[in-house]
Amino acid sequence: MKYWKDEAEAVKAFVSLWEACGKDQELIDGMKKVNQLIWFDYTESGPNCSFNVDSRDGKFIVAGGKPAGEPNLIMSLTADNAHLSWANKLNPVMAITRGQIKVKGSATGLLKLAPKLKKVALIYEQVLKDLGMEDKLKM
Amino acid sequence: MKGNTGKVVNIDMTNGSVRIETLPEEYYKQYIGGSGLAAKIFWERGRFDIDPLAPEAMLIFMNGPFAGLKVSGASRNSVAGCSPLTGHWGDSSSGGYFAPELRYAGYDGLIITGKASKPSYLLIKDDAIQILDACEYWGKGTEEVTTALKIKYGKDHRTLTIGPAAENLVKYTIILNDGHHATGRAGFGAIMGSKNLKAIVIKASKKDMAYADKEHFETYRKELNSRIVEALPASVLHEDGTAANLGGGVASGDVPVKNWQSNFWEESSDALAGSTLSELYLTKRTACAFCGIACKRVVEVKEGPFAIPEGPGPEYETMVAFGTLIGSIDLAATCKAGRVCNELGMDTISAGGTIAWAMEAFEKGDLTLADTDGIALKWGDLETVINVILPKIAKREGKLGQLLADGSVAAAKKIGKGLEYTVHSKGLEAPMHDPRGGGHGLALTYAMSPRGACHVADPMLFIEMGARYYPEIGFDYITGNDPQSDENKPEATVVAVTFGALENCACWCQFADVLTIPDWLNLFNDVAGYDWNTEKMLMAGRRVFYLKRLINYRYGLTAKDDSLTPRMLEPARDGAPEGIVMNFEGMKSRFYGLMGFDPIKAIPTKEKLLEYGMAEEAKKVW
Ligand code: SF4
Repeated sequence: MKYWKDEAEAVKAFVSLWEACGKDQELIDGMKKVNQLIWFDYTESGPNCSFNVDSRDGKFIVAGGKPAGEPNLIMSLTADNAHLSWANKLNPVMAITRGQIKVKGSATGLLKLAPKLKKVALIYEQVLKDLGMEDKLKM
Repeated sequence: MKGNTGKVVNIDMTNGSVRIETLPEEYYKQYIGGSGLAAKIFWERGRFDIDPLAPEAMLIFMNGPFAGLKVSGASRNSVAGCSPLTGHWGDSSSGGYFAPELRYAGYDGLIITGKASKPSYLLIKDDAIQILDACEYWGKGTEEVTTALKIKYGKDHRTLTIGPAAENLVKYTIILNDGHHATGRAGFGAIMGSKNLKAIVIKASKKDMAYADKEHFETYRKELNSRIVEALPASVLHEDGTAANLGGGVASGDVPVKNWQSNFWEESSDALAGSTLSELYLTKRTACAFCGIACKRVVEVKEGPFAIPEGPGPEYETMVAFGTLIGSIDLAATCKAGRVCNELGMDTISAGGTIAWAMEAFEKGDLTLADTDGIALKWGDLETVINVILPKIAKREGKLGQLLADGSVAAAKKIGKGLEYTVHSKGLEAPMHDPRGGGHGLALTYAMSPRGACHVADPMLFIEMGARYYPEIGFDYITGNDPQSDENKPEATVVAVTFGALENCACWCQFADVLTIPDWLNLFNDVAGYDWNTEKMLMAGRRVFYLKRLINYRYGLTAKDDSLTPRMLEPARDGAPEGIVMNFEGMKSRFYGLMGFDPIKAIPTKEKLLEYGMAEEAKKVW
């Protein structure tokens, strides 16, 4: 991995990002509309490198690892590309077209979130700083 | 001949003659099919000195080489000729079920001239082609006529019909296939109307076609079909239709508001979203022939002022043209407006664009109650739009109907005001993607497109999203994060117009275009036997683009017509692209250089034409 020391570091950053997003009402409302169990599968970068977000039925729960239930949507990519993508440095459409992001399941809900990616990127930047990982912002 | 049948039918509506003609094989290898082959025929035989609605004017229906293949997205067809709306080259394409039936009946195209002495329709059953009396259908809406023809001949007969607006020669009228699939742009419905041709009914007795290498194609076909259907855009389009990503468009400033005065209406993201349509009004998903994507909608609005029974639902363009563009985010209203336009036989893009222009003109005082038969034109007043304005236009009724029936540019010229806030290129109202937000490359392709402002003439919209790349020719140009810049856009446009010509000549649906260069070659060689390599294929695409430009030159168009209006070029007033200045002239001049265009005539130089084997064509313009 280019940006991460190990899987645990990557998962910590991503879960923290989503927990921080969970404090933003606009993003929470957006995720509730998505109404899906999403598995962010970065296991290409290591067997434990993944987390999931459950926004079904008004919930908003972020957890490390693969979800217990069957996810509605699986986004598979490397932890490095995930880093670029949350930092808004990887165009998701382009990455999907080029096979860098693989999507399984219904992605229509996620389209609703796409316009909010810029906002997520700002939160990500703050999260990395708070975690003492600002060196990762040099891309 | 393989794939193609090599045959077209010439029909003279004046004297009722029908002549089946075999086209030279080299026409196909040079101009591919669809709108390219139609352009070649028009170049050879078209009249450049007559009104597009004159009896002698030519109306061409043309298949691509893949019509009838059991592959998603392969069975569209082109309609082409001189556009009644713009007065120069026009082509438009439609999905649905007409193209495969025409192929199975044994033909690649229909070339229709003349004018019948009374309302008529064509009945084509293999080689039995008749011109029949359509008096009982004249004046009736598309749904009624489609239903009547299907009852008369059977559901498996495919129909093309025009509505009353086309009979009244409204210049942005459509041709509707099987009551759902529109040949929407450039006003070809009016040409059918001018020929007293109300409908075409077609049925083939068999369902097969010839292939250059059937065995190889069959193995490849299955793999290709799964790739098309499994691609992410396909699943999104299936689930929520063509408006699935309307929210993304709103965020980027791509969705025009109030005649392009604004690039941002936040609430429209949810109100007009494809997912909202699915949730509230969708009853069924449906598809064109052999398409596994099924992006088409069937909707029902059960109650309220805009209630409509189950039937064809709106696509993205209609949802915006009768939504934010005219100051509304009422989804039920867009469903009804789309249905009314279908029934009357009008293009929702030009209709919405023309009405939006009129609303702004009224707001500014450039149009007054004296010009509008006493009707106030108010943003968002969909009841008046649906119940009063659209029917008036279709009937060319009163001052308002007459004014708006020829499109926004003619209306502005007629009142001598408001040209600066028309939104078009070469007279064709722009589609519902504002390049100031959607991408500056799109501005360039709107202006360069031979038919006028068009988002489906080429894949620039997708290129700027980052969804198209062709590594085989070194085109891995990534602009996804910065569509609002001119950097490399002329270079991208060269690629876009070439692949756009391939798509349009192959009559391949843009939503199903996951095709790589090897895919295109497989298709052209295995199905049509063109025996192409990459270079020959790309030259054919470029040649088609050149030929359409030459046709326009013969209509008197030059570099000054490769333009956008002041409204389209002024910096956006709000939204993501707010304040950004577009370097349109810089992009245009660079594109001319890359394409080998003369800077005044805006056509390829003589040398360039010779390089593309167009010596005969060169003689007419140089
Ligand atoms: S994707 Fe939609 S428009 Fe294209 S061929 Fe399929 S059903 Fe028709």
